[in-house]
Amino acid sequence: MNRTRLGFVALIATMACGCASMGVEPWERDILAKDEMQLTTDPIEAGTDDHIYFSKEASSGGRGFGGGGCGCN
Amino acid sequence: MAGGGATREVRIEAGRGCLIGQFSAMASPCEILVETSDVDEARQLSELAAAEAWRVEDKFSRYAKDNIIARINSAAGDSIDVDAETASLLDFGNTLYELSDGRFDITSGVLREVWTFDGGDRLPSKEAVKSVLLRVGWHRVDWQSPTLRMEVGMEIDFGGIGKEYTVDRVARQLREASTSSALVNFGGDLAVTRPPTQRHGWHVGIETVSAQGPPAEKVIELRAGALATSGDARRFLLRGGIRYSHILDPRSGWPVKRAPHSITVAADTCTQAGMLSTLAMLEGASAELFLRAEGVRHWCRR
Amino acid sequence: MKKRNTQSVSTALAAATCTLLGSGAPVPVQAQEDPAWNFNTALLYYGEDNSRVNDYSFSILANRLFVDDRVLSMGLTLDTLTGATPNGAIRQDVPQTFTRPSGNAVYTVPAGELPLDDTFHDTRAALTVGWEQPLGRLWKGGVGFSGSKEFDYLHLGINGNIARDFNKRNTTLSAGVSLSRDTWDPVGGAPIPFAPMLDVGATGNKLGTENKDILDIVLGVTQVVSRRMIVQLNYSFSDNSGYLTDPYKFLSLVDGATGDTLTRTPAPGAAGPSHEFRFENRPQARTKHSLYGQTKYYMNGKVLDASYRYMTDDWEIDSHTVDVRLRWPLGESSYLEPHFRFYTQTAADFYRISLVDGVELPAYASSDYRLGEFDATTAGLKFGWKTGSGNEMSVRVETYQQNGTIPPQLLIGNQIGRETYPDLDALIVQFSYRFSR
Repeated sequence: MNRTRLGFVALIATMACGCASMGVEPWERDILAKDEMQLTTDPIEAGTDDHIYFSKEASSGGRGFGGGGCGCN
Repeated sequence: MAGGGATREVRIEAGRGCLIGQFSAMASPCEILVETSDVDEARQLSELAAAEAWRVEDKFSRYAKDNIIARINSAAGDSIDVDAETASLLDFGNTLYELSDGRFDITSGVLREVWTFDGGDRLPSKEAVKSVLLRVGWHRVDWQSPTLRMEVGMEIDFGGIGKEYTVDRVARQLREASTSSALVNFGGDLAVTRPPTQRHGWHVGIETVSAQGPPAEKVIELRAGALATSGDARRFLLRGGIRYSHILDPRSGWPVKRAPHSITVAADTCTQAGMLSTLAMLEGASAELFLRAEGVRHWCRR
Repeated sequence: MKKRNTQSVSTALAAATCTLLGSGAPVPVQAQEDPAWNFNTALLYYGEDNSRVNDYSFSILANRLFVDDRVLSMGLTLDTLTGATPNGAIRQDVPQTFTRPSGNAVYTVPAGELPLDDTFHDTRAALTVGWEQPLGRLWKGGVGFSGSKEFDYLHLGINGNIARDFNKRNTTLSAGVSLSRDTWDPVGGAPIPFAPMLDVGATGNKLGTENKDILDIVLGVTQVVSRRMIVQLNYSFSDNSGYLTDPYKFLSLVDGATGDTLTRTPAPGAAGPSHEFRFENRPQARTKHSLYGQTKYYMNGKVLDASYRYMTDDWEIDSHTVDVRLRWPLGESSYLEPHFRFYTQTAADFYRISLVDGVELPAYASSDYRLGEFDATTAGLKFGWKTGSGNEMSVRVETYQQNGTIPPQLLIGNQIGRETYPDLDALIVQFSYRFSR
């Protein structure tokens, strides 16, 4: 378990450093600024789905953390 | 336009997601917000803007002793030949005079001799206003480009259009100089050079200018075009419970009655925005009606 | 003003300005008031087949924007749950009677049917409040509170997060932490682990309320890859401790040879269970690790949203989730969005179908199908459109199906062939409306 955890964190660190040269100039962010290009386009739908799947499956979250638990799992 | 006084230097500061170049010109704090993290680019654009602002200020300030305005205002009835830029401003003043049926008049500057808007209650006498009014009136001016001849005692004052005109010129120069979006802000008269890419629009706060209640702020998102505000802020007179706005009607020599405290107009250029807000103020109580009839985006504070 | 013609002032002014400035036609102005409030509302129906769970919910999320990118967000969700859920017992070829969680009544399940408990008619209210603001030029932070209440459950939590931009804002590193304290107050009390189900009125097998503490940490990096693509990678750690058992679920106690549930007779004059059942028991701790990656890719007006999540925990559950959406614009103001999600999980190491009589009890056991081995598929379609006043509406319809397998080694005697995983088939319908003031 410790190895896997270390692996995850190392992966993120690598991504962060290796990404120093990737990206766009500030004036090239027109498409990225669109509503439909945001990582979460519909927060209510994301929250509802998270709640449904939390109640019916053994995994939860991933994207961030939701608004809390309920007496269903 | 006032001249001199403030030092002529450009400072660069960090904003949020932008860099800001700051300087003083035309008796206003000026800032150029550039959507960039490159300090050299921000400095280059800000210095370009400041140079143009100071050029126009020096050229058309009525406080200078030897510029074109000084020569025009001391001509004492003689003809003066003016350069292309001055000619275009005089043409514009002429068009605005006809468009507004005389309410906008670049010869009305002399009225400041009898009116001092300091928040006090001293109104000039009717005779004083009448006598100054004899020296006001674009219809008295003989303008055949490039030759200008005015009656003795008359003056030309570009104060009502100078700032907005300069904002537009600066915006165009910055658009040609860089692909970064910039917001040109000369004391509340502002224009966007090109649509920003890191945000939906530049966020501009409009202050409500109300004597009662706390100042509130409405936020406007400006993605293209310009905003200009006409407002009395601290420049008005209060007597007998009636507020006299500093916007004077050149035909009567007296302030417009029942004008809003401030009008902000959004238009394609700062010059148009400024003119529309001034014309709307001159409508007094019908300011909003006028703006609505013109189909112009506006915010009035009464 | 005595107008010659109402429209002529601004038009004439535009022409005069053009002449003055000497440039071509200017770009048309785009100025609008930032709406102070943004509202997002939704009505949801979730329904499983075979008289299982039905849920209706209403949600509202409100964001108040302040000057300088500060945001106050508040969310409220109300939902009511009805319907039946598997209680953990296996099927039998004879009817089975169970005592309700309250201990006050019994219910009977016909022969051959999967035992379902339909006691649950619960209403839940959940509230979230959050504040987010920039902290300097490149930093951003937020704090939040969440709470929810059901008849038998209370959740209280706080959370905080912080993020920093790098590399011309192409890279963002973020970290978040959340702490929750949840309290179970089950109907009839929380059962003693592995206690037998007793007759109506007998309460010796129940305790009172129980607590659960949850710590969540999320570390993430968001990276702009190109003008059309952005990627996010998150690592999450979750530590749950306390009462993690489901107080309403139990296992059948079966004969080691036949695999049939042992029968019992209630006390004289009383009503009670017809067979032997033991309440389940899960570990008091659970540690989860997840790795989540998401990308959004713009292809000529269409947007692809694809994500993958891997989860592993110390209950031996591993899961993989793949989620793909494609937003397909239809004209200027509407879109179609098909959605597909595939989920698979392995069973918890203490997951079993039944407890065997005469054999030493395991440390932990649960027959809750949600801890078993199954695949789940979601397929749906969403249609969204902008109304005349610029607000957005959407409707989505999705099906959710779970298909599981019971590992053969968990089945004994007559259970083989008779016991199957309680597959799930559900319909999700949601209508939502977004508007600003």
